[in-house]
Amino acid sequence: MTAPVLEVDGLRKEFVRGFLRKRTVAVDGVSFHVERGEVFGFLGPNGAGKTTTMKMLMGLIYPSGGTATILGAAVGDIEAKRRIGYLPENPYFYDYLSATEYLHMIGRIYGLDRHERRKRATRLLERLGLAMAEGRAMRSYSKGMLQRVGLAQALIGDPELVVLDEPMSGLDPIGRREVRELILELRGQGKTVFFSTHILADANLLCDRVGIIVKGKLRDVGPLGELLSPKVLRIEVLWQGSAELQAALREQFAEAEPGSEAEPGSEPGSERESPHSSSSEGQVFVAQAQAQLDRFVAAVIAGGGEISSVTPQRETLEQLFVRDSGTRPEEQRS
Amino acid sequence: MGTSSNGQRGLFASFGRMWAIALNTFREAVRNKVLAILVMFAVALMAFSLVLGQLSLHEEVRIIKDLGLAGISIFGVVIALFLGVNLLSKELDRKTVYAIIPKPLHRHEFLLGKYLGLLVTMVALVALMSVVLAGFLLMQGGRHGVLMVRAEILILLELLLLMAVAMLFSSFSSPWLSAMFAGSLWVIGRNTAELEAFATGKLEGSAGGTVLEFVLDLLPDFRMFFVSGANFDETVVSVHGSFVSWAYVGSAAAYAAAYGGMCLLIAVLLFQRRDFT
Repeated sequence: MTAPVLEVDGLRKEFVRGFLRKRTVAVDGVSFHVERGEVFGFLGPNGAGKTTTMKMLMGLIYPSGGTATILGAAVGDIEAKRRIGYLPENPYFYDYLSATEYLHMIGRIYGLDRHERRKRATRLLERLGLAMAEGRAMRSYSKGMLQRVGLAQALIGDPELVVLDEPMSGLDPIGRREVRELILELRGQGKTVFFSTHILADANLLCDRVGIIVKGKLRDVGPLGELLSPKVLRIEVLWQGSAELQAALREQFAEAEPGSEAEPGSEPGSERESPHSSSSEGQVFVAQAQAQLDRFVAAVIAGGGEISSVTPQRETLEQLFVRDSGTRPEEQRS
Repeated sequence: MGTSSNGQRGLFASFGRMWAIALNTFREAVRNKVLAILVMFAVALMAFSLVLGQLSLHEEVRIIKDLGLAGISIFGVVIALFLGVNLLSKELDRKTVYAIIPKPLHRHEFLLGKYLGLLVTMVALVALMSVVLAGFLLMQGGRHGVLMVRAEILILLELLLLMAVAMLFSSFSSPWLSAMFAGSLWVIGRNTAELEAFATGKLEGSAGGTVLEFVLDLLPDFRMFFVSGANFDETVVSVHGSFVSWAYVGSAAAYAAAYGGMCLLIAVLLFQRRDFT
């Protein structure tokens, strides 16, 4: 068995701020590991401690406690740093330089010769769609273009471990898709990707494993399949029928079955939404239990209606996230 | 043998990384419009000396030399303060440092690379202004000569030392405060003779005098770099006649290297401990 690429044990950061030396714990005893070749998503609401953890791993912030090893070496080891590529959150670069000049500068730090720098810079700028702007000063770049330069500079050293802090932040849907494709391409090349995000759809699509951090503490770590409950939470029925049948079934199945599961995240005792709704494809009924579903399907058929689909719904990453953070995503501070 | 060649390779690699940072710092400086304007002002002052020279009684060359050296020195000080105090604060304000520190380089290499870039910039600027001054002198039938080169090297040393002092302040305070601190030290450092006379004259024997003498010993002695017209051992030295020797320039260089090195060392220690939040 190979050693983990990244191993974090009890990492802690306490900031002391202001004249009164007020202490704030940003990261509180975080432990996890990232295996070689996997895509690990570091999830958490804004202000949860994701960036602080990443900055500690990248040597930008000194930890108050705990240890971390990257590629078998302590944080800050120059040989280990040579094998790491890092994209900071909302990256800023020297705006008087062009993307090519910047990549050459970074290549020089990696000790690459001129030929190798030119080869890698050209390939990366083409791959990331920046070839048309490679000679322009970066002060004229859009946010999306800067994010691409950030990815290029993270990859110019051909790293084994790629650490990306909010790589999809500020990108349009096409940009986000391109970054997702790039992460999958990196995984295909056998590289390890450790990235933070609060966009759950991206994590759902990309991650082999995730870690969920909330208020500085790691709440859950593991493969999504293991973290998400396999239990069916509810069953969605798409059906069509006459107006009379719709009215009759709305009356007959007006409320959820007594004893059925409450939706995760809903307040106890809060007013339950109607299980009926309409969509462009037909009527939608949400059954909370198998017995209720059986009776509803039988009633639709008996009334001359048609069932288009029956979809069981299991816990999503968003629901897990809400369960771990104890708040709805819209309530989290931005 | 193997260890020594590894050490040499390591040093070479370390210099390569510092050079990458230095080259970028040089690019930043030469693409800065404020710097270009300051250099133009210095050249304009030299050009103005041509006009002043016409008003003098056959002292055109002397006036061009004096005003030219003063221009290089004054605008050089403004440029050194401007570059020195902005060196780190810009990196932190614009968060450009966040992408660089995680790269395979040590923090001290980053800081020393930045200083190396400023050093190259300042050498280029002083050389440029000196060439322009030599051109003006030639136009008036004068000669630039080795004495002027010594004076210009002394000014360059002063500017390099001032940049190291400014960089030290900028490693823990804001650009404005750093400029004020470093600028004040430069003014005090240029007037140490008067302060020494005060400490050994009116304040002699008093606790205040002792403290002032001690403080003057600690502060950078910028006076030693601008010597034209100064009194050395009862002899007035000047670029127009008898000027300081190469040995003096060497000792001034050693002083600048030692004092500037100390400033950089403290700046490195402060930078090493810093959290980039």
